[in-house]
Amino acid sequence: MVGMADPLISNVTTEISTVTSGLPLKTIDANLVFYIISIIIIAYVLSYLLSFILIHVSERIGWYRTTVTMAIPLLKLIVYTVAFYYIIIAIIEPSLTQVVAFSGLFGAAIGFGLKDLFADIVGGIVIIFEKPYQIGDKVTVGDKYGEVKDIGIRSTRIQTPSDELVSLPNFTIFSLPVTSGNAGDLAMMIVIDLFIHPDSDAGKAMKILKESLVTSKYVIISKKYPCTVLLEDFPFYKRVRAKGYVNDLRLEFEFKSDVTRRAWAEFKAAGIQASLVCPAFDARE
Amino acid sequence: MTGNGHPDSGRTIIGCEQEFEKITRAIDRFGSGAPSHIAVVAEPMYGRTRIVNEIRRIYGDRVHYLSFESIISPSTLPDFSSIDSDIIVIDNCQFLATRRIGGFETLDLFLRRQITSKKLFITTWNAHSWHYLSAVMHLDAYFPTIVILPRMDTPLLKQVIMARHKPGEIRFSDQGTAERSMFFSLIHRSIRLPFMKKEITVPWLKLNFTVMLRKIPRKKRVQVSTEDVIFEKINRIAQGNPGVAILLWETSLNNNTLSLSAINEIPYTISLDPDESFILSIILSMESLHAKDLAAITGSEMDIERVLYRLVQQNLIEDHAGYYGILPFALGPVTDYLRKTRRLW
Repeated sequence: MVGMADPLISNVTTEISTVTSGLPLKTIDANLVFYIISIIIIAYVLSYLLSFILIHVSERIGWYRTTVTMAIPLLKLIVYTVAFYYIIIAIIEPSLTQVVAFSGLFGAAIGFGLKDLFADIVGGIVIIFEKPYQIGDKVTVGDKYGEVKDIGIRSTRIQTPSDELVSLPNFTIFSLPVTSGNAGDLAMMIVIDLFIHPDSDAGKAMKILKESLVTSKYVIISKKYPCTVLLEDFPFYKRVRAKGYVNDLRLEFEFKSDVTRRAWAEFKAAGIQASLVCPAFDARE
Repeated sequence: MTGNGHPDSGRTIIGCEQEFEKITRAIDRFGSGAPSHIAVVAEPMYGRTRIVNEIRRIYGDRVHYLSFESIISPSTLPDFSSIDSDIIVIDNCQFLATRRIGGFETLDLFLRRQITSKKLFITTWNAHSWHYLSAVMHLDAYFPTIVILPRMDTPLLKQVIMARHKPGEIRFSDQGTAERSMFFSLIHRSIRLPFMKKEITVPWLKLNFTVMLRKIPRKKRVQVSTEDVIFEKINRIAQGNPGVAILLWETSLNNNTLSLSAINEIPYTISLDPDESFILSIILSMESLHAKDLAAITGSEMDIERVLYRLVQQNLIEDHAGYYGILPFALGPVTDYLRKTRRLW
């Protein structure tokens, strides 16, 4: 096998050398290096500037915040592709056939060496076009939850509720399930569970929780954003569950806390008691 | 609450003819079977009272009129069965519900009494309260006839305002037109740059699209008169709100003469925290509310005095002996801001 492989490799290398020798490679001098570095810097500054401007515009725009930020990753991709193109034509002046041949070889070469980096870049492109999440969404990737702050070419940055900035390689979207809480919308459904004593008046509790949900200062209610209160009976407690939409996903915890606090104050006044058993539950159930 | 009084007769209903006809048709249908209750829904100062007064003028003794002026509790809700008239007109029904836990009881009771009554109820509602209550408790299901008063466009507004004066009484002066183009106006916007602490003002061109469209050369060139430009400006500031436009008209009028420069536009840059936005949206929905009612809505968690102070300071609300309401000229900017930040939906 080894003996057979050797002539194959030598054949390929000869092929590569014949193709590349046909490429009109420019002499690499200080000017060219400076030119390439300038292009990289310009591309970086431009993409930084674009996302900076668009994020500031989106913060002022209110309702359509996520619609504006949606364009950022795409614009970044365009900037970097154009920059890459300029760098390539600065080094070589290829014909179309040469570009095709070269990119094939280039791809194969880096495919082995920089596999992960390119998997991330491909992941980034998939994110841009498939949109499993957008900048501004609240997402869960693996065990990380937070607001998407930036979708870069290589990684996605999410800000967790405890203000940690987590960098997720874009490749993870191929291997891990991605959950977006709001899918590009600014409103997001919030589930609030309260556990009451089985002897307490469940009907009254549902009414109170419904009213504390609809009167919250963070709620949004319409046909598109309905709200509901549900009751479920468990052996040692009853679960009153409210489902409603928060008007801005950045206020999800304030919303939850506001509804819970006011509902419990009213429960207490109405003689509704808390469950004595600690319920084993999954908040994301 | 005020009881039966003399309606302010003679007021016209220019601009709301269609809506008024819808109401009269519903009243005329009333007689047999379950009454088809009517809700007149409008934003503040859109002219609900004008409509009510006209109903009272036309139907006279058949109408019993009530107007709620502050929050109604189940114990202060009037007993409608003892009223002889067959049409009950109730103004400002937004006072039947408050946005707090247990705040919908009065409205529940009222709706129960209304649907079991044989009388026809004509109720008027603040549009923001109406939309909120429709989303929360399907208020719209109780009213087969819903009349929404529209925002006015300039020609109609001109008609409404000019009907208040004798022909030829008002003189329009073009003073102030010479220094500025009609296509755009120069305004000064204050902006905050990310790397600077203080705000800076930059001149900004504001385009007047309506005037532009009229100026597009057609076969015959349309001339824009000073009068039209003035009404265009009034309606732009009032944002189609007839009440605000009339107020602006009255404050700008000097000896029956009106010049473009006399119409003052108050610039607003609103920036509020969630508590302030919430209180502002409550005041906008109720139109006028006492500080203690606001405190009952917000509970102990919010420092209501601080919030009210901040809102008064920003010229958004005013205090009338403890009752807070939105300043008329702030209505448009406040509504826009609250819509943008999703406090109104």
